Amino acid sequence: MLARHGDDARPLGGGTTLVILMKQRALYYPYLVDLQTIPGLAEIKIESDGVRIGALATHRQIECSPVIEASFPALADAFGQIGNVRIRQTASVGGNLAHADYRLDPPPALLVLGAEVSLFGTQGARTVPLGLFFRGLYETVLEPAELLVDIKVPFMPENSRAVYLRYNTLSANDWPCLGVAAFLTEANGRCRELRVALGGLASTPVLVGGLDFVKDQTLDAAVIDRLLDIVDQQIAPFADLRGSEWYKRRMARLFVKKAVEQLSDTR
Amino acid sequence: MRRNITLNINRRVETLTIDDADTLLEVLNERLKLWSVRESCGVGVCGSCTVLVDGQPVSSCLLLAVRAAGEITTLEGLDMGSSLHAIQQAFVEERALQCAYCTPGFVLTVKAFLEQNQNPSDHDIREYLAGNLCRCAGYPDILRAVRSAQAKINSRQQ
Repeated sequence: MLARHGDDARPLGGGTTLVILMKQRALYYPYLVDLQTIPGLAEIKIESDGVRIGALATHRQIECSPVIEASFPALADAFGQIGNVRIRQTASVGGNLAHADYRLDPPPALLVLGAEVSLFGTQGARTVPLGLFFRGLYETVLEPAELLVDIKVPFMPENSRAVYLRYNTLSANDWPCLGVAAFLTEANGRCRELRVALGGLASTPVLVGGLDFVKDQTLDAAVIDRLLDIVDQQIAPFADLRGSEWYKRRMARLFVKKAVEQLSDTR
Repeated sequence: MRRNITLNINRRVETLTIDDADTLLEVLNERLKLWSVRESCGVGVCGSCTVLVDGQPVSSCLLLAVRAAGEITTLEGLDMGSSLHAIQQAFVEERALQCAYCTPGFVLTVKAFLEQNQNPSDHDIREYLAGNLCRCAGYPDILRAVRSAQAKINSRQQ
C-alpha cells in the first residue's frame, strides 16, 4: 500500500508525532498505513548475542521491561525520561527513530550500545548500523515504502557500563537541551574502550570518534580533558529555544565529564 | 473515510460510525457526551484529556478513535453510584482542585499509578504525575490527595 500510493501514504506507528502534525495541518496524507495491525512488531526478544526490539514496542515497554533493565539499564533510563507517561505509553520506538528529530533521547544511548536497525521495503531487507541511519534533520536512509522493522542491541561485554544523562533547560517534560550517553569497558582496572554520543546539538546525533587513545589508561583528569577537547571538535551545535551555541558547547563538556565520571565511579 | 467501530467504554459496548480522522477525544465528547474528558493543549502535553486504555493512561487527543482497542475508562466509569471513588474523595477532602479542569485527568492518572505502585515515594508520585498540568498550581494539595487516596485504598484492601 505504501508503494502503491507513494507520497500520498505514510506508515503510522504510535502516532504521537504524526497525529499532532496532521492535526496542526503541517502534514497531510490521504492514506495512513496502521502498522499496529501487523502482528509481532511490538515484541522484545532475547537472542544469543543481544536483544531485538520490535519497532512498534512502546517507550513504556522499554522503560518497564525486565529484560532491558537487566541488560541495558541506561536504555531503560533514556526511554523513561521521554515526554510524559501517556506519550511513552503510546509512542513507538521505531516511529521515534524514523521521525529523526534531532532532540531524541534514544539515539545517543543506542549509539554507544552499538545498536543496528533492520529495514524492510520493496527492495528487500537490509541492516544498517544506527550511526549510518540518520542523514539530516528529520531525514534518514529509509527509502520510500521502506519500514524500520526492529532494533538490535548487542549484549554489553563483561565489565561494561553505560549511562545516559538528559539535560533539561525548560520544563521536565520538554525536549532536552542535550543528551549524553557514555559506555565504558574496563579490563584490570584500566579503560579498554570508551564510547560517547551526544544528541540535541545538531541535525543528527554524534557518536564521537577517535577515542582509542583511552585504551589502557585510567580516566584521570588529563585523559578526561583530552576527551572533552575531542568532543568539542566533533560537535557543531546550533542554537534553539533550549540554549545558544556557546551554551550548548559548555553544557556538552560538562555533561560528557559528568557521564564519564559516573561510569568510572560506579565501579 | 467513514467507518464503523466498536468501543468498549466504561463497561459498555458502543457501536458508532465515525470518520477515520476523528480522535478518541472528539468521539468521547461529541458522540458519547462524556465531558469529563477535556481538550486543552491538543498535543499530549497537559493531561486534561487522559483516559485509561486497559488501565494505562493515554492522551485521547492523540489517539485516533479507529485505533482505540481495549477497555477504555473515563472519569464517568469510576462512578460508584451515590458515592465517590476513593481517589475522588481524597481530592475533595484535600481540596486538591480549584477550577477542576485538570482534575479528571489527574484522578485517572492517579488510579493507574496506585494500581502499579502500592508504596510510592514522593519522587515516584511527582515523576508519574509530571505530565499532568494544573494551572491553578495545586500541586502540593494534589500530592497530599494521592497520599490520602493511597491510604484509603490500602485500608480497604486489608
